[in-house]
Amino acid sequence: MQANTLAILPEISLAVLAALLILIDLRLKPERKALLPGITAAGLLAVLALTLAFARPGAAPESIWGGMLRHDTAAFVFRLIFLFGAAVTCLFTIGWKQVERRGEFFVLLVLSTLGMTLMAAAGDLIMLFLAIETASIPLYVMAGFMTADEKSTESGFKYLLFGALTSSVMVYGFSLLYGFAGTTDLYALAAAVASGDLPPLGLLGALVLVLAGFGFKVAVVPFHFWAPDVYEGAPTPVTAFLSTASKSAGFAVVVRFLLAVFPAAVLPQIIGVAALMSVLSMTLGNSAALAQRNIKRLLAYSSIAHAGYILMGVAAASLLGAASVVYYLAVYLVTNLAAFGVVIIYFNVVGSDEIKDYAGLSRRHPGLAFALLVALLSLAGVPPLGGFFAKILVFAAAVEAGLIWLAVAGVLNAILGLYYYLMVLKVVYLDRGPDEDKPLPVRRAHMAALVVCLLLVLALGTVLGPMYDWSNLAAGGLF
Amino acid sequence: MVTNLLTDYWPILVLLLVSLGFAGIAMGGGLLLGPRRSSARKQEAYESGMRAIGPGTRQMPVRFYLVAVLFILFDIEVIFFLPWAVVFRQYYENGLGAFILLEMLVFIVILLVGYAYAWKKGALEWE
Repeated sequence: MQANTLAILPEISLAVLAALLILIDLRLKPERKALLPGITAAGLLAVLALTLAFARPGAAPESIWGGMLRHDTAAFVFRLIFLFGAAVTCLFTIGWKQVERRGEFFVLLVLSTLGMTLMAAAGDLIMLFLAIETASIPLYVMAGFMTADEKSTESGFKYLLFGALTSSVMVYGFSLLYGFAGTTDLYALAAAVASGDLPPLGLLGALVLVLAGFGFKVAVVPFHFWAPDVYEGAPTPVTAFLSTASKSAGFAVVVRFLLAVFPAAVLPQIIGVAALMSVLSMTLGNSAALAQRNIKRLLAYSSIAHAGYILMGVAAASLLGAASVVYYLAVYLVTNLAAFGVVIIYFNVVGSDEIKDYAGLSRRHPGLAFALLVALLSLAGVPPLGGFFAKILVFAAAVEAGLIWLAVAGVLNAILGLYYYLMVLKVVYLDRGPDEDKPLPVRRAHMAALVVCLLLVLALGTVLGPMYDWSNLAAGGLF
Repeated sequence: MVTNLLTDYWPILVLLLVSLGFAGIAMGGGLLLGPRRSSARKQEAYESGMRAIGPGTRQMPVRFYLVAVLFILFDIEVIFFLPWAVVFRQYYENGLGAFILLEMLVFIVILLVGYAYAWKKGALEWE
């Protein structure tokens, strides 16, 4: 019982934090409400510290709470990813006028993070569905949080409709799986699948339905339609959260589901499905990003393309593949948060997300321009940044699994990606802007968050050891 | 295997039959025994004994939904109380009395936070 309780310490403390935030919001005087993002970030970092100190899993993965949750390294590493992402998002919310004084926003953020940590640990179909909904419903509200802004409302509504549709399809898939196997426990399901008694065609059908729900969460083709509009309309800190933590949560589920429950040995068609989705996502995301004029839309299409790269690791269906997914997500988290951080800081001063308005940024604030440079080059996969090593890992996983054509497609796409990232950097560094002499104030909290993210981007590309070991442990714990 | 699965669901079939039977008896009884006197007011749509005022698609104050949401919140609290009360004695006799009491206290505290929030934000005021 005690070990069980310690294992869900992150979830318990997140729930307590959410309740505390409601009370703090009620007690705080209106003129001090601007402290809320800082308080939330501190709370989330405290939860992160608690998780690191007390909720470490043992060497062998365990099923806890009657099989509802798994206590393994995968769940642990993903929890750290979500908590870090949520904390940085809070810091970037400082100064975002329609949001920073609203206690509800931060409560929703914490509750969504709670849902994500449960997604990463879920060991049962019912728990998985509940966790996905707990993570998603607050995000629908957060995307539409700026009620006075038409685009934000549209974004929230679109997200809600797509989310409701895909999750109903997903639950239908769950019900079919339950019908075939007679159990909702993921690992009992895995045993039933491995026994080979279940009809493979039926399983594949159910799996495709389930993948619709997961595909929506991670925004891969063909379930990506919502991403550009939602990303563009949502408050940018929410976009940052959606494209990093929420995507990681989706992949945490995909990896567990596809690798642990449906091993490729039983259903070889899965590799084909995942590889196809991967190629389509990369190609479509990258080619659509070429034409974008709005930086948030550009990053939205780039995030679709990155979902494709990550799926490559899933398609490899191996230990290395799973490890590369975890590593890629960690890198993508810090890199994309840094990129969105610059977008947020710039929007707070200039009030525009158009790429052409970034002209002259390098003369106006060299530090900020450099941060964008590092983030975009890491997204493009340039050494010695984290994105380079992450891409190497997924390509290596694909080659190891014999999917050489997939790795080739990935490399070609990486070149395509480099082009549009460089186009943004060209505007930032070479084009002249009208406001080059005006100062561009950057808040200390923003700068601190940005510096931490950038240092991690650099660290993940140079000091590979610790994160690589964790990724391997996490991958090992899934099976 | 299949027969096992089906027999597991016997109670549901019985429940279905009982509820259908109950509804049938209640409605059939009314049909057979009740007097039937028609009047213009009874023929109206959504008859409720009151004369309808205006069409049914009027705008409603959003306050109504607040009250509705709060009602659901505390309604569900009561629904959760019931199974808890049913198993309380079992837990108590197994020496887990303190545990189950604490569980319910945690639940109530979470709801109380929501209640305090709704109260402070003025959701209970009707002006």
